Amino acid sequence: MIATPAPSLRHRLAKSGPGWLLAAPAVLWLLIFSVVPIGLMVAMSFWKSTIFGTHPDFVFDNYKRVFGSSLYTGQLLNTLRIAATTTLVSLVVSYPIALLLARLTGPWKSAFVLLLFVPFWSSYVVRTFVWLPILGRNGVINEALLALGIIDRPLDVLLYNQGAVLLGLVYVFTLFMTLPIYVTLEKLDPALLEAANDLGARPLQTLVRVIIPLSLPGVMSGSVMVFLLSIGAYITPQLLGGSSSLMFGNIIASQFLSDNNWAFGSALAVTMMLVVSIILSVLGRFVGLQQALLGSSG
Amino acid sequence: MSIVPAATRFSRSAAAAPRPARNGWRVALTAYAVAFYIFLYAPIAIIVLLSFNKSETTGLPFLGATTHWYHVVFSRNDLMAALFNSISLGILSAIVATSIAFLLGLAFRRGFFGQPAVLGLILLPILMPGIIGGIVLLIFFGYLGIRPGLYTTVLVAHVNWVLPFVFLTLNARLQGLDRALEEAAADLGARTHQVMWRVVLPIIRPALIATLLFSFSLSFDEFIRTLFVIGYDRTIPVVFWIAIVERIAPELPAMAVITVLVSTLGSLLGFAVSARSRIKPA
Repeated sequence: MIATPAPSLRHRLAKSGPGWLLAAPAVLWLLIFSVVPIGLMVAMSFWKSTIFGTHPDFVFDNYKRVFGSSLYTGQLLNTLRIAATTTLVSLVVSYPIALLLARLTGPWKSAFVLLLFVPFWSSYVVRTFVWLPILGRNGVINEALLALGIIDRPLDVLLYNQGAVLLGLVYVFTLFMTLPIYVTLEKLDPALLEAANDLGARPLQTLVRVIIPLSLPGVMSGSVMVFLLSIGAYITPQLLGGSSSLMFGNIIASQFLSDNNWAFGSALAVTMMLVVSIILSVLGRFVGLQQALLGSSG
Repeated sequence: MSIVPAATRFSRSAAAAPRPARNGWRVALTAYAVAFYIFLYAPIAIIVLLSFNKSETTGLPFLGATTHWYHVVFSRNDLMAALFNSISLGILSAIVATSIAFLLGLAFRRGFFGQPAVLGLILLPILMPGIIGGIVLLIFFGYLGIRPGLYTTVLVAHVNWVLPFVFLTLNARLQGLDRALEEAAADLGARTHQVMWRVVLPIIRPALIATLLFSFSLSFDEFIRTLFVIGYDRTIPVVFWIAIVERIAPELPAMAVITVLVSTLGSLLGFAVSARSRIKPA
């Protein structure tokens, strides 16, 4: 009895139940609260909403309304444009910081990386709200400019327009750009910079011909992430945008929160989901989810 | 040249080749970094300042320091109720999500049929817009006739949101766990549950604690999914949102500061726990 070899771990583990039994709670949760709800929304996008409620049907009316006029497709294009601009601005703003952080060493590096994270650990709603008392009519910027005598009436152009939305989006999402670029630059072999230097490259040449090309995977990863996050924005345009700078997310939300047209709202939401899926299927391989971990928001 | 380790080579070249142009770059880069960190922190600093402003309107000029708005916040019953709701939801969704993700992580260690599909599904909430995450649940619960409730619909929304992050952290730690340790325990006669309680759990306990803290913070700040399924209950972000949309009340900055403190503290503790466990030799 004592001499019999202990059964292998795999065998022992198998006795405690196969893998799928351990996976069962997660699988059930995802099926019930993710797969079925998404399926129901897709189905509902073919239903009919009337003043008496939403009824099962199979009509394309909702999609005809989405794509039939330039009203909603125009809004979609406008949203994609804002998202693309946010991505570009974030890239320009983030790249030098990623570069600097990657070249720092010792405790300073850890301190500044941590300082990069901290603001992103607090509420998205709060981080958007902060711009209201800064950019508003009686806001900090107006009061400061008035006090300095630069203007004699408060400026109204600071808030409730696309510029304010852009600023708000860059502020909440820029970490998702900085982080992946920083990670790729961090992995860069210093010997390459040394070699460029030894071969007589000027710092600008090293940057343009060595550093930037090698950091492209990080740039792509950050860009896809910021672009996707911006497409789905709701809070920022709702608080900082005017009626002319509402984004697709606001139009979808209003179908459910005020207009009570769930069937049409579903068609709009499916449209957004398709756009996101197309982007993911083309560029999804660049997305580094691990990097989204510490700076989560949305 | 080649026998010098990479790290020293880099620092030597940085110190020994101070071309004037390189210094110029360094100064420019540092100045830019200062501007960047000011961009990150100035809005928060301004909100902290405004939360102590005696003024009845939110904004400048600064009319003197007062803690009055904090008293207002703490004396508003609806805010305290929302704070209680947010904290209990944070704790509950952290526990539910961490349990589900931990079991799934163990399943991933063994492998099971359909593993890639489950991975894709669990990560979906990071990539899909939050607004869609809220709408699908609104439709789902609405269709089933389930009334909105804090510990029913909102809890589901929060667990959905927290799950991918929890799973990514726990799974990374579980995959990194040396199988030899479990095999050794099993060889020495430990039963399956003993291997779990005495070997696996103690090793990944720091990761579990860090995950719980992070998910609390994520849930505490969750707004967009919650908005669609909350009904008449209130969490801190929702009550804050309604306050902003209706009117800019003078106590809003104080509310903002309290919210930031709670969620940052949660994440910072989680960060400290996971950083400490990473330094320790495994």
